Amino acid sequence: MRVPGQRGAVLALIAIVGVALLVASSGTGAQHKRGGTLILLSAGDVDYVDPGQAYYSFSFQVLKPVHRALYTIPADVLTAVPDVAAGAPKVSGDGKTITVKIRRGIRFSPPVNREVVAADVKYAIERAFSVSLANSYAVAYFGVIAGSPATPPKTPKPISGIKTPDKYTIVFKLKEPSGAFVDALVMPITAPVPKEYAAKYDDKTTTEYGFHQVATGPYMLANDSSGNVKGVGYTPGKLIKLVRNPNWSAKTDFRPAYLDGVEVREGFTDSSVASRTILNGGADQNADFGPPPAIIKQVTTTPSLRDNMYGWPLGTTYVGLNTQKAPFDNLNVRRAATFALDRNAMRLAYGGPITGPIATHFIGPDFAGKGFEAGGGLEFNPFPSPNFSGSVAKAKAELKKAGFANGVYTGPAVTAVVSNPPITVNQGKVLAASLAKIGMKVNLKAVTTDAMYTKFCGTPKNQPELCPSVGWLPDFHDPVTLLYVTFSGKFIPESGNVNWPQLNDPKINAAMEKAKRIKNAQARYTAWGKIDRMITLTAGAIPLQWTNTLNLVSDRVVVAKMKDVQGQLDLAFTSLK
Amino acid sequence: MRRLAWSALLIVLVIFLTFLVFYELPSADPAQLRAGRLATPALVAEIREKFGLDRPFYEQFWIYMKSVVTEFDLGYSYYKNVPVREEIFARLPASISVAVGAFVLWLAIALPVGILTALRPRSRTDRAVTGMTLFFLSAPTYWLGLVMLFLFARDIGRFPLVGGAGTYVPLSENPKAWFESLILPWIVLAFGFAGLYARMIGENLREVMALDYVRTARAKGLSERRVVVRHGLRAALTPVVTLAALDLGFLLGGTILVETVFNIPGVGRYAVEAIQNADLPAIQGTVLFGAIFIIFAVLVADILYAVLDPRVRY
Repeated sequence: MRVPGQRGAVLALIAIVGVALLVASSGTGAQHKRGGTLILLSAGDVDYVDPGQAYYSFSFQVLKPVHRALYTIPADVLTAVPDVAAGAPKVSGDGKTITVKIRRGIRFSPPVNREVVAADVKYAIERAFSVSLANSYAVAYFGVIAGSPATPPKTPKPISGIKTPDKYTIVFKLKEPSGAFVDALVMPITAPVPKEYAAKYDDKTTTEYGFHQVATGPYMLANDSSGNVKGVGYTPGKLIKLVRNPNWSAKTDFRPAYLDGVEVREGFTDSSVASRTILNGGADQNADFGPPPAIIKQVTTTPSLRDNMYGWPLGTTYVGLNTQKAPFDNLNVRRAATFALDRNAMRLAYGGPITGPIATHFIGPDFAGKGFEAGGGLEFNPFPSPNFSGSVAKAKAELKKAGFANGVYTGPAVTAVVSNPPITVNQGKVLAASLAKIGMKVNLKAVTTDAMYTKFCGTPKNQPELCPSVGWLPDFHDPVTLLYVTFSGKFIPESGNVNWPQLNDPKINAAMEKAKRIKNAQARYTAWGKIDRMITLTAGAIPLQWTNTLNLVSDRVVVAKMKDVQGQLDLAFTSLK
Repeated sequence: MRRLAWSALLIVLVIFLTFLVFYELPSADPAQLRAGRLATPALVAEIREKFGLDRPFYEQFWIYMKSVVTEFDLGYSYYKNVPVREEIFARLPASISVAVGAFVLWLAIALPVGILTALRPRSRTDRAVTGMTLFFLSAPTYWLGLVMLFLFARDIGRFPLVGGAGTYVPLSENPKAWFESLILPWIVLAFGFAGLYARMIGENLREVMALDYVRTARAKGLSERRVVVRHGLRAALTPVVTLAALDLGFLLGGTILVETVFNIPGVGRYAVEAIQNADLPAIQGTVLFGAIFIIFAVLVADILYAVLDPRVRY
């Protein structure tokens, strides 16, 4: 998943303090009260308010208490539980048929008002494959459904592999077994959408359902009597207003839903002003930005503010080396670059130890029990150097193996395209300085983050030799989301490529395809852990950090059992004092 | 008529240049941005076709110009799928509130101070105005805005007096809250301009007051107040009017930094968001509005010029 721009640039947390804060906050036993309106501050806007289009952690935070998916990950845990589903999915012996029963009694918000049925989930997934919605991940995670379109239709079309034998049963027929498919049922495109109401909006060139949406969760975007939310509950770039869904029943849900409402106030582009507003009680949490270093220092050094900050380990950052282009098409040159890189300096440029541990492979500690240990845990470090500061001697030895006399690179200069915030530019400079020690000249090119992804690092024909500002957040809690699209040779499209090393190793590809089909979750996680090691050893990407996100909360927030899987406040579990 | 034709041509040129810059510089690919990180190439291609991004540059430009001229249709935002014209009109009141309020404030300060410095050259007032002008012109708007917030904003200020960032409400909803939320932005914008204008007015007035016809007016026994206001100031203000109209037009097109610092949902902030999202229709819309405001301001300045100075005829 896309890393929020500013949060990505200013990710910050003292890992140990963060864990301590997490533990401490979970055990406070604070009393939750009902009522009140929680205020979130954001720099930018959500990407979409339509659950079929949203693909951004900020959007997920806002939409999660509004649109209930088939399964969900409740606050403070990392295991999915049934939400719109009535129980665990039933997987057939061949792993190709998944049956899910729908919970009875869930009703859509006004103006639809009727009960949710299986056909609403079927339509929700079908619509996500259309150009009208242009959902990013539908093909990647749900393309395994039989009959899912290879070429996106302009407007939603039925998918033969999704059946609804009765009102409360949905059956997915898969092209091949897929263990991760079940985990992906937490994604918001499985949130029910009423076809008879939404089709008229979806049949437009670009869907307008988001502006007329109906909810199934305890909250909904404020709307008028016709169901319009634009200018009422959602003013792009300015305000999102969640109010109670009058048709929500606590009998059908496990969410406590303490709050009366939520307001997201957007446009707070100065993170210092926004952070101070939160600490002073003018708002309750940061949504899409990280607190700036001065605020972090203030909070960590002021005991009375300790409860106003908490952290959450999430995602991995790395340097992508273009394995399809000289000189990094040579394994030994890649290994040389990996040995040479001063990863400690890279972390210092990023903000220091406060921003998370230095990564030695790709599945991070947030996947403990789900592939992290099998990937080598904290012990697996195939490119060691004192204090992670790089080893020029080892790098030169690798260059000698690559045919460079004296272990000094004598080939042409390489280009690194970095994202242009100062932090990532400085990381680019560190990379250039590290590689200069082995004779490799790096030409740095700084562009906007979006241009870096869409014009350079994500477009193989334009891809430079080095992409030092890339990283990946998990979409759900299965290591497939960290490794598959980012390192499988099956996913190197002409544009929008996220396999930044363009790694296409037949052994790794085969291992991935095999791992995807493993039904037993633990066996699957172990398989992905082993794949993680294989990827690391190719040196196609140099792991930098298992990053941590940092959040501020106001004194009004009850700091107990309220964090969602992305480390944000789970709005349906949060309460105010 | 010829002047209007030139104005229209200028607007077309501005739109063309914006198109050109967007296509030639390495900004993000809007189709890819719209499709998202995990999108398939087929989806990206479909989106490119849907928005007409697969067509040649000149064809896209022609389609856009035709929509603007025939229907004043500025297209749909790639990013938010909402009509750009609607978005800009929704944000105009905020930008107008900031610009006009600041304009009134800076003239309200500049006029009396300018007159005072002209009548008492090298006095303490004159020196103070010079110092203040230098300070406010040297202080970056962004920095000055943050200082004001950290000093006086109700939620984070050391001396909490007025509304801070993100407190803007439309005038129609709550006039008191509207006024309070804009005091700091007005001050930040107005003080720099006020110092500059006070100096300009002062210098011009000083020159005018030394002219023969002013001496004649005095000799005729007119009161000093009448001499200054009716004979001196009227002539001294003529060149200032042109500049003021241009500055106001520029501000109406979006006070980007002030709107950003104070989180005011105006056209300037919309322009910033559009640039960040490579949202060409929104970029074009904001540039077009900016250009229209400036051209309109020039026309108004020309008319005022003629009113103030009877010798000028078009």
